[in-house]
Amino acid sequence: MDPVKPQMRRGVLFYVGAAGLLMVMVIEVVSVVGRHARIPLVGALEMAQAAIVPAACASMILASLAGAHAVVHLVTERLPPRMRAWMSRFSALLAGLFFAGLSTGAVWLTAEFWNSFEESDLLHIPFRPLRVLVALSAGALSLIFFYRSVRPGDHQ
Amino acid sequence: MIGLIGVCALLVLLSVGVPIGVAMGLVGLVGMCVLLGIEPALIKSGVVLFESVSRYELGVLPLFLLMAHLCFAAGASRDFFAAAASVVGHRRGGLALATIAGCAGFGAVSGSSLATAATMGLIGLPEMRKRGYSTALASGAVAAGGTLGSLTPPSGALIVFGIIAEQSIGKLFTAAIIPALTQTLFYMATIVIVCRLRPSIAPPSARMSWAERRAAIFRVLDLAALVICVLTGIAVGWFTPTEAASVGSLLALVLCAIRKRLSWRSLGEALAQTLKTTGMLYLVIIGALIFAVFMSFTGLAEQVSGLVQGMHGSPMMAIVVITVLLLLLGSVLDGLALMLLTTPILLPIVTNLGFSPIWFGIFLVRTMEIGFIHPPIGINLYVIQSIAPDIPLSRVFKGVLPFLAADFVHLALIIAVPALTLALPAWLS
Repeated sequence: MDPVKPQMRRGVLFYVGAAGLLMVMVIEVVSVVGRHARIPLVGALEMAQAAIVPAACASMILASLAGAHAVVHLVTERLPPRMRAWMSRFSALLAGLFFAGLSTGAVWLTAEFWNSFEESDLLHIPFRPLRVLVALSAGALSLIFFYRSVRPGDHQ
Repeated sequence: MIGLIGVCALLVLLSVGVPIGVAMGLVGLVGMCVLLGIEPALIKSGVVLFESVSRYELGVLPLFLLMAHLCFAAGASRDFFAAAASVVGHRRGGLALATIAGCAGFGAVSGSSLATAATMGLIGLPEMRKRGYSTALASGAVAAGGTLGSLTPPSGALIVFGIIAEQSIGKLFTAAIIPALTQTLFYMATIVIVCRLRPSIAPPSARMSWAERRAAIFRVLDLAALVICVLTGIAVGWFTPTEAASVGSLLALVLCAIRKRLSWRSLGEALAQTLKTTGMLYLVIIGALIFAVFMSFTGLAEQVSGLVQGMHGSPMMAIVVITVLLLLLGSVLDGLALMLLTTPILLPIVTNLGFSPIWFGIFLVRTMEIGFIHPPIGINLYVIQSIAPDIPLSRVFKGVLPFLAADFVHLALIIAVPALTLALPAWLS
């Protein structure tokens, strides 16, 4: 396992993602212990679900910033460097378009559910901020990849 | 027709280096735009995106990754190898056997073939070379042993399959136990046979005293207890896989603290690694789910299934054809891409033929593992070469050949005897 760049262990995204992960861990452990001790933690699943969303969003942005996405290298690694760079920019452009599509879909849904005040069943955790967060993250991912398609960075 | 065009477009995008998740998602999104129109396609993709990132069951993935990274920080890989080497290291080929056992042990906490090969390669390979082992046997054992990380539960590949195929991750883990154990035994038997035929390639080493052996085994007892606790908990229903991953992560954290390996730096590194891999896997899963929705609209799987049934061949014959197809695809696609591309198409066919989706998951991961060690992709071979650049790739491949033969026999056994995978989940349920 290659060590991550030191700057990845700092910054808001890292702390949001790490906090989300650790919260899910604690909630689930308390829930298990509580269930076996016959003191069930009501709404543990809903709390975990709410904590997973920021962790997942932060992790996708972090992985994109680190250029850590899974790629098939069979053809590209045999290409000359200039062609490879061109392919990389083309891939980034497609990724930008894909996330723009996802972001549009997410915004559309957020707008549609805006006035329906969706919330979880037991703890009444509102879904609205979670939907906004997901839409913003998809938008951010789109911008990251569009930027890469114009100015390929050091992730290559 | 549009389904076939979609599959071809996906293969082209993958080959030009588009990230796997993006390629699958983009083909799915564009395909749905063509089939359903732009508005439903965008809304459906938005639904998949939100449902994926807010899905409780998907929490299992980052938490098992966190457990793996914490175990790595606790020195699990070195200790597993040291314990196995203390028991069998003095025998001819003993260190190669220890590498396989270490890979099985570390595979159980890492859940990844690549991580297992890379980590055990750094530990086992120099040790075997120092003791005069043939570089072919040493590198082959590490490359093949690394694949155990994909099948040994809790496995990342099985979690991804469970999510894509909507199957119980707990059942998949339980079903993988016997195949992973038999695969380990097959690899060990291969080493024993190879060393019998050519004793010079793996000289015996000095025997360790019983006190040293006890100490080495004692050092992995906590790690073994962690793995057993997690797997037993899932199998007997103490907790769900997501809860098991959380309990495992917390125990790994405690284990790090007890072993005096817990610091802000090591915790930060484990969390950052976890987030990086999680982000990569989330994108892959979102893309694969959008692609799967597109595939379900095309009806391609039903058509292929009808075609297969129309041929009036036996289901076993169809599975053999699927195996050959997977192995061929596995030689040009990496494991994850292979699984994500083929699951939405092959799973309905296989279930229509009367096979269990759980069995198919194990079979698919096992086939995927073979792709990790056979050229031209054979990613584990390249991992070994990056660890030991002085060993030519041809030598690594020569070393992996006997293990590849064992893999084919093992895969044939999994196909011929489905009870090997299905008996344990059935018995425990």
